[in-house]
Amino acid sequence: MALLQIAEPGQSPKPHQRRLAVGIDLGTTNSLVATVRSGLAEPLADADGEVILPSAVRYCPDRIEVGRQAKSAAASDPLNTILSVKRLMGRGIADIKLLGEQLPYRFVEGESHMPFIDTVQGPKSPVGVSADILRVLRRRAEEALGGELVGAVITVPAYFDDAQRQATKDAARLAGLSVLRLLNEPTAAAVAYGLDQSAEGVVAVYDLGGGTFDISILRLTRGVFEVLATGGDSALGGDDFDHTIASWMVEQAGLSTDLDPGEQRHLLQLACAAKESLTDSDTVSLSYGDWQGSLTRDAFESLVEPLIARTLKACRRAVRDAELDVEDVEAVVMVGGSTRVPRVRQAVGELFGRVPMTDIDPDQVVAIGAAIQADTLAGNKRAGDELLLLDVNPLSLGLETMGGLMEKVIPRNTTIPVARAQDFTTYKDGQTAMMVHVLQGERELVKDCRSLARFELRGIPPMVAGAAKIRVTFQVDADGLLNVSARELGSGVEASIQVKPSYGLTDGEIARMLQDSFAHAGDDKEARVLREQQVDAQRLLEAVQGALDADGERLLSAEERTAIEAQMQQLREVMEGQDGAAIEQQIQRLSQITDAFAARRMNATVKAALSGRRLDEIEE
Amino acid sequence: MAKPCYFALFDLQPGFRLDLNELSARYRELARQTHPDRFADASEHDQRVALERAAQLNDAYQTLKSASQRARYLLTLRGHELPLETTVQDPAFLMQQMELREELQDLQESADLSGVAAFKKRLKQAQDRLNDGFADCWEDPARREEAERLVRRMQFLDKLSSEVRQLEERLDD
Repeated sequence: MALLQIAEPGQSPKPHQRRLAVGIDLGTTNSLVATVRSGLAEPLADADGEVILPSAVRYCPDRIEVGRQAKSAAASDPLNTILSVKRLMGRGIADIKLLGEQLPYRFVEGESHMPFIDTVQGPKSPVGVSADILRVLRRRAEEALGGELVGAVITVPAYFDDAQRQATKDAARLAGLSVLRLLNEPTAAAVAYGLDQSAEGVVAVYDLGGGTFDISILRLTRGVFEVLATGGDSALGGDDFDHTIASWMVEQAGLSTDLDPGEQRHLLQLACAAKESLTDSDTVSLSYGDWQGSLTRDAFESLVEPLIARTLKACRRAVRDAELDVEDVEAVVMVGGSTRVPRVRQAVGELFGRVPMTDIDPDQVVAIGAAIQADTLAGNKRAGDELLLLDVNPLSLGLETMGGLMEKVIPRNTTIPVARAQDFTTYKDGQTAMMVHVLQGERELVKDCRSLARFELRGIPPMVAGAAKIRVTFQVDADGLLNVSARELGSGVEASIQVKPSYGLTDGEIARMLQDSFAHAGDDKEARVLREQQVDAQRLLEAVQGALDADGERLLSAEERTAIEAQMQQLREVMEGQDGAAIEQQIQRLSQITDAFAARRMNATVKAALSGRRLDEIEE
Repeated sequence: MAKPCYFALFDLQPGFRLDLNELSARYRELARQTHPDRFADASEHDQRVALERAAQLNDAYQTLKSASQRARYLLTLRGHELPLETTVQDPAFLMQQMELREELQDLQESADLSGVAAFKKRLKQAQDRLNDGFADCWEDPARREEAERLVRRMQFLDKLSSEVRQLEERLDD
């Protein structure tokens, strides 16, 4: 693929006609804002000429510091200085308490299960902290461009789930930005690299940032960027490299693991500096307190090898999901500061059998791509020259069905926007309400997926089980945000919800959820069979009980009734257990023993119907 | 809203043999016009309409792109809808399916990667044969039953190939 920098001579309208729009990369470690000026996309610098804004916010009693100044206070004022806030976006208090052991903050519970960080300025939510970063970038852009912005494209990791996307959009709104689009980071990077309209072919974008990892496989065809598959890990990044080195230091120095927040921060800073110098040097000296030591590049590489292996596995999966072979990938683009680690470049190069491209600064490439898309969305391009980005949803979306099973409605890697409907029915006679539980994830059991929302469809007219037809429609918009509605088709009763995060799981749990989904596919299947048998058993028990209540007295002898009830009790007992075969066997026994009873009921019904008709005929 | 015929949407004659490159080229052209990005400035109503149209286009493209979904859709156009789940009266095929699944199980236990590759190749050939068979018979009303049977077989093989993918995933550790 040809690799030309972004230049479109003579295509931009006159400056005073341009509508001001920016692209913002809201990163875990660093954030940037970029825009297209005179046909060229470029990041905007602050008064000191720096384009990178560290994603650090310090709350002081009388002011808020954002950027380098805040970052440098991290060790001296750890409780009021928030770093890597992106890792907390879209997460609930319960998730973060688990993470909290490693994080030097004081968390307090706010409304709606949002975690708040207690600071000298009072409690701050991750959304609010992100908004403080975005506000600084917005002001920088407005000063540089001399006017108000019509809007911004904000990038998110492709692997961000619905809750994390919503939280990002909320932060932008809080900062007074109109969001033109949430754009996936790897797609943005592909745009920056492939803007030259003659670029064609299949491209892999490997994006290892401070806190997240994404891999996207795209097909480029004359200005159309079609994402074929995406994958990754929303809790894996350069921060984890730092933590690995820091733990190694703690071990080497024989320190207690019970460090105070300032010490933790200090150690992480040393670890990060060591990682960075190992990009160019073969060894680095370290000292902490009384301890002195050195870390070689080889030793560092073996420390982080398991992390790199996780990214490579996700790459192979994405290639398979795209229904391609590794050889079909014609170019590999590196994005994110962590791709500066030589071992990362080498490993990715080996996997794809080609040298990865690093021509555009990996810290800037996402913001540049976002700026180009913002320019298109603001209407600054001539018709026909616009880029078109066709993205996908990263994780499967579905619903809870009977027995705690996840029924997928939209599988992962489906091109968005997308709308899919699925019909469900009632489970019990006379059922008038239905709970719709919306889930995201790859596993078969509800408890292993992320819960996005629950809502209830009420007012279904009472009918026999299985007669109502409830159509649940999922709609995912171009930002990757989900909307769900449910409708009973006979009566037209309707309910819908814009899915708002219910903050259920930790980053680690999500990562585990996805990784486990394949490792456990076999277990899942057994679990699924067991659940289905439990559901069948429950259904049979309810049917038999209903029949006993209605006609037991009339059609059964006391002896017969006792025998049936004994078998029912037996079934209730085995269905509590894990033995699917035993449940199946007991279902058969109970069915057999109730066969005669069922036949008698049928006869009675037919007789009643016949006698009824005779009555009608007499009356006529 | 009545759904327009998927083939008409792409200005194609209904048919099983499709030039997939042509289909994707037309898809990209249509997506250029309907994608919500083209309506970033429009009223809320127009944005909603664009969203629905883009979603419908994506759905049509997904359906026509996949051989088994395309075959099924053609039969729906030609007559009644095919029930999704039905008792399959195709004992010879089912027997063969069971054998293939057992084979897959063995490949998993022996973690035999080259065996998986060979299995995939055979699966692909079997799919090609089904596609050829369907192309021959679907237009003939007298052979409707045969066409339906082939569609069910295609769906079985689709499922099998997604199981192969899951197996590859498990072996990739």
